[in-house]
Order: sequence, then C-alpha cells, then structure tokens
Amino acid sequence: MSFSQPKKDKEIEESLVREFQGGNLKAYDKIAEIYQKKIYGLSFNLTRNQMDAQDVTQEVLLTLFRKIKMFQGKSAFSSWVYRITLNTSYMKLRSKKKEPNISIDELMPSFNRAGFQQEKIQDWSENTESLMFNTETRDVINKAVDLLPEKEKVVFLLRDVEGLSTEKTGEILNLTVPAVKSRLHRARLFLRKKLSYYFEEFSSRKAEK
Amino acid sequence: MICCKECLDLLYDYLEGDLDQETTKSLEEHFQDCPPCISFLNTYKSTTKICRNTLNQVEIPEAIRETLLKVLKDHKVDN
Repeated sequence: MSFSQPKKDKEIEESLVREFQGGNLKAYDKIAEIYQKKIYGLSFNLTRNQMDAQDVTQEVLLTLFRKIKMFQGKSAFSSWVYRITLNTSYMKLRSKKKEPNISIDELMPSFNRAGFQQEKIQDWSENTESLMFNTETRDVINKAVDLLPEKEKVVFLLRDVEGLSTEKTGEILNLTVPAVKSRLHRARLFLRKKLSYYFEEFSSRKAEK
Repeated sequence: MICCKECLDLLYDYLEGDLDQETTKSLEEHFQDCPPCISFLNTYKSTTKICRNTLNQVEIPEAIRETLLKVLKDHKVDN
C-alpha cells in the first residue's frame, strides 16, 4: 500500500539540497516546485482552510530558504520538510478554537464475551465506486477525517494519504513502527465506522426503491 | 479457531502481508466461516481507498500558487 521514494528522485533531491546549501538559488526554486504541492496538501488536510494552508505553505517554503544550512542530512530531506510542515500547521491550529474530539474508543468494534462481533456488519464496499464522484460523499469523508483525534489523524495523513512507508512515518513523528501501526489501525477503524453510517443508509435507500 | 476480535486485531498485518503462514491460514479459515468479518475486511479496505482518493486531490489554487511565487521571489531579492 505504501510506496517509497524512487532512488533516482532521492539522488536528484539530495544533489539539489547540496547545491542550494552551496548558494545556488535555482536549486531552491526546484526544491520549492517539488515540495509546494505536498506541503499545501498536508497543511490543507490538517487545517481544512485555504487561507491557513496558504500561510503554512508560504511559511514552510521561507523556512526552507532561511534554514537550509541547519539541515544536516541526518534524516531524509523530505522527513525534515514534513516535520516543519506539521509544526507550522499545528502552530496555526493552536491559535484557533477547536471543537473537542469525540472519543475514538466509542467507535471501536464491539465483541461479546466469546470474542464474536456484536453488531450487524453490512458490506457496503460495492457501493463506494459509484458514489466517489458525488460531492455529498466527499463531504462525508472529509468530515470523518476531520473528527479523527490528532494523534491518529497525522499518522493516517502521512501513511495512507501521502503514501509514506511505516518506517518513514515513524521517523517523522518520532514513533516506533508498532506505534505507527497501532495508530493507523485505530484511525482506519474509526473512519470505517463513521463511513458505515453513511453508506449503510445509502444501501437501505437503494433497497427501498 | 480464532474469534472475531483476534481476527480484527490481525487485519492490519494481514493486509500488509506481515503475518506468518500459520496465522494467515487460521485467519482465512475464520473468514470462510464468518460473513460479518468478510464484510468488515471489505469495508476496511474500501475505507482506506476512498479516503486516500478523496484527500489526495488537494490542488493548490492558481491564485495561491501565483502569490507564493511572488513572495518567494521578493524574499530572494531581499536576501
């Protein structure tokens, strides 16, 4: 499910970083071009606001410009960029009042004493294809992700949305591999449950017709 | 035979292909006898896919892209 950065891209990127550290401004333009979509995408998914995502992207790109000499190459350059993006996004979110998150535990699967599932599980996976281009569906998905607690959300965005590996996600967030896996699994269970309400209702509406 | 709880706990590693042969076998045996867990597996997979496809489509609006370019250009002149 994850893909790692192709080796060639990584080499090009490393040499761009070295050139820019040596004072080549054209190398910086290329770095900014490669990263601005990623920075904007991640900050938009965290803040859900165009103005905030713009501010964050601008600030991160300027930080890269000003602080490139501080990058020592101990971790991948992309990990450094993601970390700065997360910190800047969180600073932005801190200044805003936020609705409290709902408890993730309430939405985890429930079992009886023998360990069997207690709720009726409908298989709505077949319906999702036809609904993917529907604005209502996209709203439901965006809202469900918004409701994820921060700890789970950031793992989900890096691993499942950005497509980074479990190891790389752990490196960026300073988490162990088992911790990344456990948070991602909880995020997926939470989202599955949230989306079930919507898709199950859709299935029953369709059955009534 | 493993129960549903164990089955759902193993789901992540199963989809990653991280389980040993024996555990995979007992999980698949459970799936054969448990339609709710099959439904759970299918919807769990779907969830990941549709969330990724939806959130991946964030593009920088043209106006914002232009503003960013200008800010960076000005900044470089100042330095």
